[in-house]
Amino acid sequence: MNRRTFLTYPIVSAALPSISAASVVLSRIPSPETSFTGESPNIDFTADLPAPGTLPERWICGSSSCMDNQEPPIQVHWYNEHTAYLRQNKAYNYEAPFMHLYFGNRRILFIDQGYTQLRHDWPLRDVVDNCIAEWCKRNHRNVEEMELLISFSHLHDDHYAGINQFYDRPNTRYMGLTHEEMIGFWGMTNYPEERVTLDLGSRNILIWGSPGHVMSEFAYYDTYTQILFTGDMFYRGRCYISFWEPWFASMKRLMAFLETYPVTHVVGCHIEISRTGEDYPYGITYQPDEAPWQLTVAELRHAYEVAQTIKEPGIYFTGSVFLCNQTRGTTTVDKNPYAYD
Amino acid sequence: MPPTQTSSPTPVQSSQSPAHKATIPHAYPNGNPNAPLNPPSARNTDSCLPLGHTGEITHNYACTGPAPGDIAFRWIHGSVCAATNRDPRIQVVAYNEDTYILRENICINWEAPFTYLLFGNTGALLIDTGATPEAAYYPLRTTVDSIIRRWCSIRRKKSIPLTVVLTSGEDIAQNQGLQQFTSRPETTLAPTQLAEIKHFHKLASWPNGTSSIDLGGRVIDVIPTPGAHKDGITFYDRYNGFLHTGDLLYPGRIQIANDRDYVASLTRLEQWTEAHPVKWIMGGHIEMMFAPGRAYPRFKNYRPFEHVLELEPSVLAEALEGATAVLGKPDVVFRTDFILLNRVGPDEKNYRTSPDLPFIPVPIWLP
Repeated sequence: MNRRTFLTYPIVSAALPSISAASVVLSRIPSPETSFTGESPNIDFTADLPAPGTLPERWICGSSSCMDNQEPPIQVHWYNEHTAYLRQNKAYNYEAPFMHLYFGNRRILFIDQGYTQLRHDWPLRDVVDNCIAEWCKRNHRNVEEMELLISFSHLHDDHYAGINQFYDRPNTRYMGLTHEEMIGFWGMTNYPEERVTLDLGSRNILIWGSPGHVMSEFAYYDTYTQILFTGDMFYRGRCYISFWEPWFASMKRLMAFLETYPVTHVVGCHIEISRTGEDYPYGITYQPDEAPWQLTVAELRHAYEVAQTIKEPGIYFTGSVFLCNQTRGTTTVDKNPYAYD
Repeated sequence: MPPTQTSSPTPVQSSQSPAHKATIPHAYPNGNPNAPLNPPSARNTDSCLPLGHTGEITHNYACTGPAPGDIAFRWIHGSVCAATNRDPRIQVVAYNEDTYILRENICINWEAPFTYLLFGNTGALLIDTGATPEAAYYPLRTTVDSIIRRWCSIRRKKSIPLTVVLTSGEDIAQNQGLQQFTSRPETTLAPTQLAEIKHFHKLASWPNGTSSIDLGGRVIDVIPTPGAHKDGITFYDRYNGFLHTGDLLYPGRIQIANDRDYVASLTRLEQWTEAHPVKWIMGGHIEMMFAPGRAYPRFKNYRPFEHVLELEPSVLAEALEGATAVLGKPDVVFRTDFILLNRVGPDEKNYRTSPDLPFIPVPIWLP
């Protein structure tokens, strides 16, 4: 750098911030077709319930050679215009947990963050930001004005590992990784019985305790789609019941809930069973004939009936889920060691 | 100079001699200054010496001890997200000029089987064929072809016939790549059915008796070793002093399919080891961690703390003792370098280890 360019340098650097500041201001001026004034028309989440929606017949379910998987790292499925379900690709992690995005007028609730920590391995943050931007554009809202709440179903790392991808996201609150912080996040003082109502802005989410798989677990009920989310406590796969009595009490709580609230689907965190009822062993990365994610209310009620007869530890198949009562974690139902005589 | 040449022959000692056992080199990080600089076991193929030489080079495989060779300490071990893995699909390690060890990428198949390619003066032998049939995912044939092409050019040969054999015809973690070789010229494929295998290897009195495959100066012995599979075979390479045991004995969770056969096979191998110099046992997989008695669970495609592939021959006696202890009852045996599962599910007691082994915490749950 010679003396002449050196002298011009501070002028250029002083000019740059003002230019970029101007461009930011310009970009914030809404274009005519997406024009809104901060009071964009409120979406009514209380009429014509349950809000209709669709779930895929088949989710992306891994591939025989993981390194040759060409599918997106996260499958995004819009159940309806204001509800998105995400699933981690099996070739990125065998747990392939599901994640939920519920949009309200003022806030967005994001439940579960998958099983991979690093953004460059698995771009959860980018996919979620894209979903939010897409929804905001559709509904004429400013991304910056929507608060994002990040919570998880229970205190297991396959449901919160991705949370640190959001630590620098503006206007975002996230749940802490201890039991105290979890129930404190929802302001509960009487876990697990207490049922709290989270207001996303005309859209209410009911949340209550659902221990049994682990002691720190919530059930979530969306009043708009009327989908009940039971986490790892009840899902289409091997429900590892670590603590029988709290789990059975949680089932009773679900039964009582069904008496007063209509439920369209019961959904959990994983799928571990094929359409023919075959158990996919723990850790497998390819499930070509996967059963659907959602369970019916009848299947939940039937599982409760089966559970009433369970007196001893063991694995019980209800026709839709395996109740693994106090078996060691990650035990599969596979009792077929290769042998010959 | 004659069209074919032979490096100076070394007198072959009687295989009964205890001198074989003493030839395993001690590890000196920068070489041992006191060791003889021209030991009798040194081989020289003369591949580089003659300029303008046109004839085939013949190698003398006669050995006074195991042929020297070098093996990777740590294998390529997958990635946190298997879908993002960009490692080679097949890791090729030249153990020495006539021995290649190939490993399938863990992110193609979690079994990550090892495949061995051995060369003699008149034939090449491929032991096992991997766990993935699709050549696009697992290009075994192309890889083997290019190794053979390079080897042939060094030895100034037009081509060399290839024989593909299996440590077990029924093992789907080892027989899947076989069909990639079906139309290959100058290639003999081993059958996968037990009756045909017996005939192919001329083992009429199965599981007794042995036979051998002559690769031209390099002889591979074929030893029937059922137990982990009903058609299990162990190949003994006299040149390297390797026992290629497949699923019978390897650093991992060994599923015993028939415990009486298993004990009988290990006994047979132990007798073999007494009569023949064995440097290492080279199995078909690695599942153990670098912590005593701990293994990675099934389907793991990220295994950063893997055990090494090679096992000392003393492991044979340890396995025999462990297998004898669980003869006739469903149980698990934990040892430092392997786990024996007798009639228990493959997930059973995965994460537990034996109380007499030190517990070393390994972070296996890192997402």
